[in-house]
Amino acid sequence: MQPAPDSALVERMITGDESALVAVYDRYAAMIFGMLVRMLRDRQAAEEILQDLFFELWRGAARFDASRGSLPAWLMVIARNRALSRLRKREYREFSENIDAFPANAIASPVVLEDEAERSLLMGKMRVAMASLPSEQREAVELAYFEGMTQSEIAARTGSPLGTVKSRVRAGMQSLRRIFDDGTTRQSGRS
Amino acid sequence: MMERHVNPEDPDLYALRALDGEEKQAFEAHVRACPACAAELDAARERVALMGLAAPVAAPAAGVKDALLRRVRAEGAGASGQASPLRAPARPRRMAWLTPVLAAATVAFASLAVWLWARNAAYLRQIDSLQAQLATVQTQSQEIARTAADTDKLLGMPGTVRVGLKPMTGMHDGRVGVLYNAQMGMVSCAGWLPAAPPKKSYQLWLVPMKGKPMSLRVFSGEWNEPMAMHVPAGMEAKAFAVTEEPLGGMPSPTGPMVMEGAGE
Repeated sequence: MQPAPDSALVERMITGDESALVAVYDRYAAMIFGMLVRMLRDRQAAEEILQDLFFELWRGAARFDASRGSLPAWLMVIARNRALSRLRKREYREFSENIDAFPANAIASPVVLEDEAERSLLMGKMRVAMASLPSEQREAVELAYFEGMTQSEIAARTGSPLGTVKSRVRAGMQSLRRIFDDGTTRQSGRS
Repeated sequence: MMERHVNPEDPDLYALRALDGEEKQAFEAHVRACPACAAELDAARERVALMGLAAPVAAPAAGVKDALLRRVRAEGAGASGQASPLRAPARPRRMAWLTPVLAAATVAFASLAVWLWARNAAYLRQIDSLQAQLATVQTQSQEIARTAADTDKLLGMPGTVRVGLKPMTGMHDGRVGVLYNAQMGMVSCAGWLPAAPPKKSYQLWLVPMKGKPMSLRVFSGEWNEPMAMHVPAGMEAKAFAVTEEPLGGMPSPTGPMVMEGAGE
């Protein structure tokens, strides 16, 4: 049986259908919560952010055009921003990526995560790809992603020259990008 | 002049938040003016966002979903259908005051429900007990009424004899009066008897002019209720007696006589 598309669930949320929110939560909560716990190392803080995230999705469902964007990617972006804000005890106010100003449907070409099997496949690939990075690259990428460190901060943390850190981060991101470019997890027909 | 775009990795690094200093400023300035790089940044956001999938999946506590749904319901129907901005505060304050009130009310009502349930159960048990007691009282009342009616008959009938039983040696308490009418074949007793000694019963006998004593009643405990009994009509009574018998009584007297009386 085909899972209900995210776009259909969002439409149902707009009409006040709580079961649609439950379906979205059941679909993506564990995935997002895993990331939050990895970042915060605090389950209670992670649960607070998770609850806020889905509550805002419920309240802002009418503004989300799921047919034009990836709901799980949007949820992951916002969840990560929230976690970094809490982790670093400051709000990010960067260009076009301010949490509040970030458009919900800005993420085009959605990766298909509605299906449990596809989701599991992509998660497995991401883990393998991350684990297969050279340790220095992996450390640099993980410090950037899970702790929100800039390249300069990573250099200070690791004691490595800034240029070396930049090379490691760029090389690591190039390797990870190949996962998204191999065509197996992206549906080119969706726009 | 050929347009110079950002480095191919910069969108990913920016989305990762790894750029800082002059690199970050330069990237932001370029993306503001370059739709192609802005589009590339959108794609980079997706890729970077999904890097979180590398983290082990973890299940949030069940209470998180419950709390989420409570917030949704507290928010009120129709809120989701409005174009509320995504920049809404992390936690809705509008109904926040209601949460502790609802929680307190829920606890109070739950406690009240439990208390009412317990009280109801206690009342039901009490009703059952009272109904049992009522049934017993009704039975006793009917027996008393029947005894009273029989006694009235005995008192008004010729040939009724009155017998007062007197304690024998060793019997310190007890008083039993008997009305007996041989023609009617009816006996009525009133008075009181103490409880028999342990593992013993007192037993009331009609001692006929002829034949063996006939058992009228076995008393296992203290007795003070009037009673009426029917016996074969025409049986002339020589005396009435109470003996001490093994617990539950015997077909014929075997123990010592503790009370005895003859017709007046």
